Amino acid sequence: MNPGIFFEFAKRSVRLHWLRSLLAVIGIVIGVAAIASMGMLGNSLVLSISESLSDVGDAIVIYSHGGISQGPSSTTVNDKITQRMLKDIIRASGSNDVIPIYNTADQIEVGSDDGIATVYGLETQDLSLLLDLEEGQFLKSSAGALAGSRIAEEYDLKVGSRVKLGDENLRIVGILEERGMGFDINPDSALIVTDKFFSSTYDQEDYNFVIVKVRDINDIEYVKDAINTKMNRKDDVVDVFDTKAILETILDTFGQISTFTTAIGGISLVVAGVSIFNIQMMSVTERIKEIGIIRSIGTKKNEVLKMFLYEAIILGLFGAIVGALFSFLAGYAVLMVMLNSTEFLFEPSTLVYIPYGMIFGVVTSLVSGFYPAWKAANLNPIEALRYE
Amino acid sequence: MQIISLEGVSKIYPMPFGEVVALNNVSLTIEEGDFIAIMGPSGSGKSTLLNMVGSLDVPTEGKLYINGVDVGTLSDDELTDLRRDTIGFIFQQFNLIPLLTVRENVEYPYILKYRKRDTAGRCDELLKCMGLTENLSHHKPNELSGGQQQRVAIARALVNDPKILLCDEPTGNLDSKTGTQVMELLKNLNGKGKTIIMVTHDTQIAEYAKRTITIADGEIQ
Ligand SMILES: Nc1ncnc2c1ncn2[C@@H]1O[C@H](COP(=O)(O)OP(=O)(O)OP(=O)(O)O)[C@@H](O)[C@H]1O
Ligand SMILES: [Mg+2]
Repeated sequence: MNPGIFFEFAKRSVRLHWLRSLLAVIGIVIGVAAIASMGMLGNSLVLSISESLSDVGDAIVIYSHGGISQGPSSTTVNDKITQRMLKDIIRASGSNDVIPIYNTADQIEVGSDDGIATVYGLETQDLSLLLDLEEGQFLKSSAGALAGSRIAEEYDLKVGSRVKLGDENLRIVGILEERGMGFDINPDSALIVTDKFFSSTYDQEDYNFVIVKVRDINDIEYVKDAINTKMNRKDDVVDVFDTKAILETILDTFGQISTFTTAIGGISLVVAGVSIFNIQMMSVTERIKEIGIIRSIGTKKNEVLKMFLYEAIILGLFGAIVGALFSFLAGYAVLMVMLNSTEFLFEPSTLVYIPYGMIFGVVTSLVSGFYPAWKAANLNPIEALRYE
Repeated sequence: MQIISLEGVSKIYPMPFGEVVALNNVSLTIEEGDFIAIMGPSGSGKSTLLNMVGSLDVPTEGKLYINGVDVGTLSDDELTDLRRDTIGFIFQQFNLIPLLTVRENVEYPYILKYRKRDTAGRCDELLKCMGLTENLSHHKPNELSGGQQQRVAIARALVNDPKILLCDEPTGNLDSKTGTQVMELLKNLNGKGKTIIMVTHDTQIAEYAKRTITIADGEIQ
């Protein structure tokens, strides 16, 4: 029970000076909440992005040079990938799969609902390379279409549903698994049709872009170089992107943002540390006489040290707990707004930022409480006793 | 049996404008069970002597033995243990701990020594012996009168059953009636074998002691 009495001292002292204790705690709360919630937020974002992109890390996307500068309304004059360019790409890609893709947007009608949907045209043998089925089957003939998960939900599409795309009637033969955001294709809110259907309906021979799926992810750079040397010898004919690099840039940016916000949290912890230092110095100065008394009746130096460190720990722990609660609530709210989902909040790699932030808070108060406690412990008992 | 012995003890405070000699070559032996009053003018070194005997301070020169131990050889922690186990302090200003209740004040040195709370009822018994009622024990010290506070302080000084009681003007802040009560308590304790050393300005108070030592300018007269 011995440590109990020193903890009791600390508790009572904090309670006696509750107002100034509260002010110091607020600083810790802000610091812990900032560090933990920013860490949680950043991690959730990274998780959600990497989940959406993980399966496309092995893709190279090739656009015709200039074809990428496609404005929101200017769907007209765009350079495309011609059959000849496609042959070159196939040759440069070796044994890797080359998937030419048609892409546009068109009006769709399902019963009385109508709207605009993205349309992809793929060769039937390429479908299984890029897409996964939730139900139904892949396309075999030009009369069918596949529906992305989101569009299926929106229009209540089932296998067998009828859809009017432009002027053509199509039957849904399969519903796709949700795939998330991608840098090659975004099939979730799209209809997938065959290349034949696409080129006859929209009267388009050339492809909008080409995807090369690399078998071995380490070959990405090699294949990219091969395509570049083959095609962009004199002038730039195509632009070559790999999704892995795009992913890395994005994760990098998130990393920087979260470093920045964590630094802000760090600054508020420094401020909190200064205020804890301050009130602990006050506490020591006010209680010099009391320190003299307890030293004279047999309290050791390190026991006095403990007593004042407990005070700092109480403040830090209290601030850390409240800060953790706040960071969880803030993280929940922000993720709800930004991602419409809080599933990543409950991932261990996200939640770990809460104890992480709390440790920062408690360590800050311990560090700033140490000098005052040391000073209290090393007061000369006689002089402390004479102090009025 | 000698419980305290000073051999040529000096205490010198180095100050910016020269040294202050608070005690000058003091030699003194005190037998167990003695009751000593120390008198002398202000600034003569009475408190310095008492603090030294209380192992709050160590001599600059000379040897001081408390309970057979040469305090000059002890570390700060060992001096603290000596204070906790063999010495009880009673101060003019009572010096109770404001954060603790009356009972907790008495219990505090007990917890320091035994590392556990007093479950044997020693504190309550001591408070009762000091004439303090049960319902006072949950009050904070500042809710008590001076006489009551001093009696709590005596109970606290006694809780670890020390051999020596050191009192620096124990009645200095009390009226003569309560002062007399406190002195009766001390006399009683001395009768039970406690060695008491008491600093006082009051000759009437000094009469409770078995012998009186007078100090002037840091020297025993
Ligand atoms: N920490 C210190 N630093 C410097 N000088 C000190 C210190 N403590 C005591 N002194 C000096 O030592 C001398 C003796 O002081 P002490 O407190 O022992 O006197 P005292 O006899 O108890 O006086 P009083 O009756 O007023 O309590 C005084 O001159 C005092 O100024
Ligand atoms: Mg004095």
